[in-house]
Amino acid sequence: MAVKNFGFSISRPRTIDMDKNNLRKSNEILRELPELQACIGCGSCTASCSAGLLTQFNFRKMHTLVRRGEYEGVYKELSKCMLCGKCRMVCPRNINTRKVVLLIKRTLGDF
Amino acid sequence: MIYLAPFTYPFIIGAAFMFLIVVWKYAMWFIDLPKEDVQKIKKGIFSKATLYSVWEIFRESLLHVRIFKRSLPLGYMHCSLALGWFMLIVVGWIETIVYLGNSFVPLYGHVFFRFFAAPVLTEHFWILDFLMDFFLLIVLSGVFLAWIKRFSSRLVGIRRTTKHVLTDRLAMSFLWFVFPLRLLSETVTASIYGGGGFLTGSLGELFAAFLPSQLLSSLLMPFWWCYSISLGGFFCFMPFSRYMHIFTEIPLILLRNWTLRPTLDEKSYDKFEIQACSRCGICIDECQLQKVLGIENVQSVYFLRDKRYHMLRLATAQNCLMCGRCQQVCPVGINLNTLRLSTRAIMRNIPSEQRYNYFNGIDRSCGEGRVGYFAGCMTHLTPKIKISMEKIFKAAGEDVWYADSEGSVCCGRPLMLSGETDAARKMIKFNEELFRKHKITTLVTSCPICFRVFTEQYNLEGITVLHHTQYIASILRSGRIALSPEECSYVYHDPCELGRGCGVYDEPREVISRAANLMECSQNREHALCCGGSLSNFVIDDFQQQKIASSVVEHLLLSGAERIATACPLCRKTLSRATERRVMDIAEIVSERLT
Ligand code: SF4
Ligand code: SF4
Ligand code: SF4
Ligand code: SF4
Repeated sequence: MAVKNFGFSISRPRTIDMDKNNLRKSNEILRELPELQACIGCGSCTASCSAGLLTQFNFRKMHTLVRRGEYEGVYKELSKCMLCGKCRMVCPRNINTRKVVLLIKRTLGDF
Repeated sequence: MIYLAPFTYPFIIGAAFMFLIVVWKYAMWFIDLPKEDVQKIKKGIFSKATLYSVWEIFRESLLHVRIFKRSLPLGYMHCSLALGWFMLIVVGWIETIVYLGNSFVPLYGHVFFRFFAAPVLTEHFWILDFLMDFFLLIVLSGVFLAWIKRFSSRLVGIRRTTKHVLTDRLAMSFLWFVFPLRLLSETVTASIYGGGGFLTGSLGELFAAFLPSQLLSSLLMPFWWCYSISLGGFFCFMPFSRYMHIFTEIPLILLRNWTLRPTLDEKSYDKFEIQACSRCGICIDECQLQKVLGIENVQSVYFLRDKRYHMLRLATAQNCLMCGRCQQVCPVGINLNTLRLSTRAIMRNIPSEQRYNYFNGIDRSCGEGRVGYFAGCMTHLTPKIKISMEKIFKAAGEDVWYADSEGSVCCGRPLMLSGETDAARKMIKFNEELFRKHKITTLVTSCPICFRVFTEQYNLEGITVLHHTQYIASILRSGRIALSPEECSYVYHDPCELGRGCGVYDEPREVISRAANLMECSQNREHALCCGGSLSNFVIDDFQQQKIASSVVEHLLLSGAERIATACPLCRKTLSRATERRVMDIAEIVSERLT
């Protein structure tokens, strides 16, 4: 029996298995920039993002994924950032977000 | 006269070694100069610039006028050492010519003239003896000041003195002994053979009166040996120490007057600038990272030092506000910020073909007009400034094309400051094309960061680039808008990028004084403080930024003003986080007072 197409589908499972993920790089980043641990995931950075206004780039998603040990494609996504600094000015947790961008890119390299 | 004495060998070897190394270094740097720079040299060499350079070399390499302006004792220290030593050499040459006529004298014959001449000379020219002793005394007073500076830098007018590397310390130790030993050697010589001026001569008589002559003659050679060794030792370490600046400042002044400049791409000319730094430490006191946050080892002097010895760390290169305060006071006139930028570029620049492909076809502008308005990313976060500008444009009846009302590609400077010059050039190219496409003739921006990169890096021929304060000043002058002044006093905070960066100091003040009472704080214009929010510093955290901002607010309010005015969205935001008082952009003040 053919499945009726409703125009949407069940979304891909987004479970992250922290036990399986290699957190070495993530820990390295957090060691160098401990303030990133203070992130409350509010999304202000993404909301104000200059690059996010022009593309699907989502900064909060990127640094959250990295902290969870999901590195794939992050370098390429972060290359969209223009380092304009708006996110740093709005972050309620006073995180040096421009350094986050540079640090993640430097630590991960091109995955 | 026979010039043969083994004690001269350390000096001869040292001097020859130094000469070879210095010549070799300069030759390498010259060979590596890019073609454009060679062209500039060819054009400049037979022009007035060269004559002017001779004067400047005299003024800065010998007299050190700029250091004098900064602090009298420090200027005297540099001047007495440089000019005094130079005059000892000059008068020394004259001395040999007067005594010996045109006969050949080897270099060490000049240097150790007293040793060779004292036993054979019968008549003395008192004026020469006087001059030699006089300049020796001058140099000795400089050495004395240098000692004091090491123990207490405040006594010579600076708060901090530079921390040095090993070769510096070695060269410095030798240098400290050169002139006291010269005094002793010449004194002992005079005590045995007579002669000498008011210093060495009278000291010599004193020695002869109180010390047995046997002791004096047994001291003679050891002293000359020590003098020669200290000279030779200094010369050996000199090309690898900060004293390389003594010679390097000369080609630097010439090259600079022939219009060579460092650029965002590192090049061989930079080496002249880097090694012309005398590590005087004047830049340390200017740095707010030092003064307010107590951060050491990142200031320009340390940056140049670490870069020169290939021990620069990324954290040092990136810990700088690029406020330009150090550059403003550097007596050698080194382009400190450009050098730091080009260094960041080597450390970080990652060229990528695909990067920013998403720019293609983006155009979120609106409106129609010959005047373009580029608010800038930071202005979008301080929408009051943008709304004020829209109001002002309307009041002036200006048709405006809004370049970035619904999002935009950044101007590129923030990225450039991080060292990613190649990627930043893509943004520059994109924006240039966007401005061209809409055929604007004037481009107004509210952000000094954008303003600086527009004027410095963009190719915007045919388009007049204005900061909004300049634009407002011009429409006020031509009477297109009028203001009703308010009874309120503002102190103006000069943003680094607008003031020291682009030299715009007067228009903002003109506009404020038409809208309210303008007050000044003591550190203003070229000497203005940085708000601390600079996009150039990738190391300090937000709390450190706020600490700087608080110290700036405190200084601004010393003027007695009620409110703070500035002309940069980033300064405005940073300063307002540190105070309860109102911090306003000039555009806001104007739009409130429009009639
Ligand atoms: S704005 Fe700051 S706290 Fe909020 S998600 Fe972004 S980084 Fe985290
Ligand atoms: S710095 Fe990068 S991530 Fe932050 S707002 Fe600008 S473009 Fe977005
Ligand atoms: S950079 Fe300039 S001010 Fe700083 S130590 Fe060197 S010469 Fe002196
Ligand atoms: S540019 Fe400013 S922050 Fe950087 S070293 Fe110079 S004074 Fe310090």
